[in-house]
Amino acid sequence: MKRYFDSELETFRSDLLRMGEVAVRQVRDALQALVTGDVKLAERVIAADDELDDLEKAIDTEAIRYMNLRAPVATELRLVIVGMKASHDLERVGDEATNIAKRAIRLAGEPPLKPYVDIPRMATISIEMLRAALDCFIHADSAKAIEVVKRDLEVDAINRQLYRELSSYMVEQPGTITRALELMFISKGLERIADHATNIAEETVFLSDAQDIRHEQSLKKSGLTS
Amino acid sequence: MTAPSHFYTSRNSFQRRTEGTIVWAFRLATYVILLCGVFVIGNICLKGLPTVTGSFRSLKQFPYVTNTFLFEAPESLYIFKHEGVKREMGDTEYRAFREAETARATAEGRPVPEFKAQSYVYAAGGIWPCIVGTVLLVVGAMTIALLLGVASAIFLSEYARDSAFVRFIRLAILNLAGVPSIVFGLFGFAMFVLYFDWNVSLMSGWFTLAFMVLPVVITASEEALKAVPKGFREGSLALGATKWQTIRKNVLPYALPGILTSSILGIARVAGETAPIMFTAAYVVRDKLPWEVAKFGDFFFQGVMALPYHIYVVSSKIPQNAYTQRVQYGTAFVFLGLVALIAGSSILLRNKLRGRYQW
Amino acid sequence: MENSSPTSAAPSRTLATPPRVARKDDTVPSPTLIDVKGLDFYYGAKQALFDINIAIPDRRVTAFIGPSGCGKSTLLRCLNRMNDLIDGTAVKRGEIKIRDIDIYGPAVDPIELRKRVGMVFQKSNPFPKSIYENIIYGLRIQGVKSKTKLDEVVEKSLRGAALWDEVKDRLHESGLGLSGGQQQRLCIARTIAVEPEVILMDEPCSALDPIATAKVEELIHELKKQFTIIIVTHSMQQAARCSDRTAFFYMGKLIEFDETHNIFMNPKNAQTEAYVSGRFG
Repeated sequence: MKRYFDSELETFRSDLLRMGEVAVRQVRDALQALVTGDVKLAERVIAADDELDDLEKAIDTEAIRYMNLRAPVATELRLVIVGMKASHDLERVGDEATNIAKRAIRLAGEPPLKPYVDIPRMATISIEMLRAALDCFIHADSAKAIEVVKRDLEVDAINRQLYRELSSYMVEQPGTITRALELMFISKGLERIADHATNIAEETVFLSDAQDIRHEQSLKKSGLTS
Repeated sequence: MTAPSHFYTSRNSFQRRTEGTIVWAFRLATYVILLCGVFVIGNICLKGLPTVTGSFRSLKQFPYVTNTFLFEAPESLYIFKHEGVKREMGDTEYRAFREAETARATAEGRPVPEFKAQSYVYAAGGIWPCIVGTVLLVVGAMTIALLLGVASAIFLSEYARDSAFVRFIRLAILNLAGVPSIVFGLFGFAMFVLYFDWNVSLMSGWFTLAFMVLPVVITASEEALKAVPKGFREGSLALGATKWQTIRKNVLPYALPGILTSSILGIARVAGETAPIMFTAAYVVRDKLPWEVAKFGDFFFQGVMALPYHIYVVSSKIPQNAYTQRVQYGTAFVFLGLVALIAGSSILLRNKLRGRYQW
Repeated sequence: MENSSPTSAAPSRTLATPPRVARKDDTVPSPTLIDVKGLDFYYGAKQALFDINIAIPDRRVTAFIGPSGCGKSTLLRCLNRMNDLIDGTAVKRGEIKIRDIDIYGPAVDPIELRKRVGMVFQKSNPFPKSIYENIIYGLRIQGVKSKTKLDEVVEKSLRGAALWDEVKDRLHESGLGLSGGQQQRLCIARTIAVEPEVILMDEPCSALDPIATAKVEELIHELKKQFTIIIVTHSMQQAARCSDRTAFFYMGKLIEFDETHNIFMNPKNAQTEAYVSGRFG
């Protein structure tokens, strides 16, 4: 039976999806700004972070109001809780993208340390993971979500490899330390974005199956072989 | 092979034995009452039926009842021997017979036969005027009682605020129920016959009987009104109805079956009481039927014959013998039948109303 | 704020302004319809309401909550003077103004008042007449006889009460043959047939199962576009779902009156918080 406050939940879902889309776009644009050295693009990314912050506040307010007044149970309750948590993750993703953009501005003036291969690769995987997690949210696909969780190890591996590379750069050519450090932080940021995407994937499993798969070591171990 | 004992096995305890005995005592009480009722009514029916049907032989043909007993006025019975044959005849018939015989004897040149007869008052003829009188009394008294009673029940239960005065009124009504019917007769006599100067008449009888049966009607009507759920009144008032509109449309129709039930009790009482009508409405004998009046107004101010009074008259005021006994039982039987008929029609009306105003 | 990246491969979305979370109707302030000022109410010698001051907004749903015996039903019944029917009740101080007319004033006829302030009771009380007769009862009292007008009102009221589709083929059957939820909606239809301004509901769903309750709540949400509704309820969830403003009463006093979201989220009074969280008494 349709209730008149069903529209509030619809608004909530669409807000969440919009936030996801904005976050994905921010990460993509930040990477674009880094790779092409486009300062104007980076500045737009930094300015657009406000939108994500506003969306997070709006989603939280809406969630609290819905829980307060409509006393949701079952799927609705899980949706509201997951929504609140996911909005927090997406806002953090946006913050990381903003940081990448800021570092891109700093790196823009200087020649690139090395051709950008690993970082864009990490970014691609992170963005794919984020998109996949959001897809799972829309389609309630918990199998795909578990795949996302497993892919986090890939990003961790690239990150560790990049650390080793950049550390050896810094040791061999001390003049590259500032640039290398910026790149290490960017890599760290992308790794965090992948972690947030994993969190969102775990939350969508909770939403569709009411299963809490966080901190499951077995999942992570099975991803080692990939 | 005894059943295994567990928590729920029945035990032969003192309570269970006494329960059985007590239930039998209740049964016995009910059967005793039933027996008495059957005996009394059975006796009346058995002895009264022949009077009404003429004899058992006439049961074989339509219409199974004699016209004589039901539709003629009471007459004296004459028993005499004529030409060696014992004959019984009513007054009119005897006179006609005597004239015819005298005429015949004269015509044939024989000496006029002597007619020596034993007469028994009221032992012949019928009780038609009594039936008419009783019906009139019942209809009139019940109408007055219902109008007055329902009106005052509505006032007491819907409008009157609870106060010492209202409680006093209720107490007075209850006391009225305990007043002996002869006292009602005296009251009616003093008030209606003498003071209002209505004389012994239908009007006096109606009002006396109505007052006698009022307590029952008022109490039962109040109960019937109280039984209508409060929600009907509240719902109606909340829609902007006045109190009387609410009562008229939403309370009274649903209380009517209960009110009519009380009227059934009232009818039995009104039809059966002798004392109140003895001084106020009933004549021992009256030769004119109630509708044979000079002008319309006289209809209300004439006395009538009544069945219970007639039973009293034929039972106590005249000598008892086999002939009068026939009339007594016949009258009692007709009386029971009449009350059953009126009560039955009231029940039918109540059932019809119940179907229409079901809640 | 519009952002588009000209160098990205996939077409980017045009961003709209952040979504509005507010509901369109009930946060818009509404003028006061019923103004209760300094009301003291007595049942005989016992005081039931102490200095009640409350302003009920027009065309909104206001809920009265509170423990048993706190006076919420008493106040409700004061608003259409149904308490006058009980002996010994009196308003000893204060006034209740509906559209600036004191309803306990000398020139006010309670009968006329009740035509404009309708009431739905806890135990649904359809009259044991046909559905048709039930609905037109209020009109018959007023002397309306025209059959076309009556038919029109019946259809309009039953549609307004979301009952038309269910009973349109059996308008002349008894109202008692309906289920509990349908009976309550019939009573609501009967009340709106006389076109009141205010509908008072005294625990309308307490005798209904959850599905019937949900239907009545949806109905209330529709009705509030046209009528001012005041609902007394024991169910906190119902007050939270249905009402725009909530008043909490205790022992005959008004403790707190605020937007429903605030009462349940952040009540100013400790007693209110104890009651809504179920820790009262």
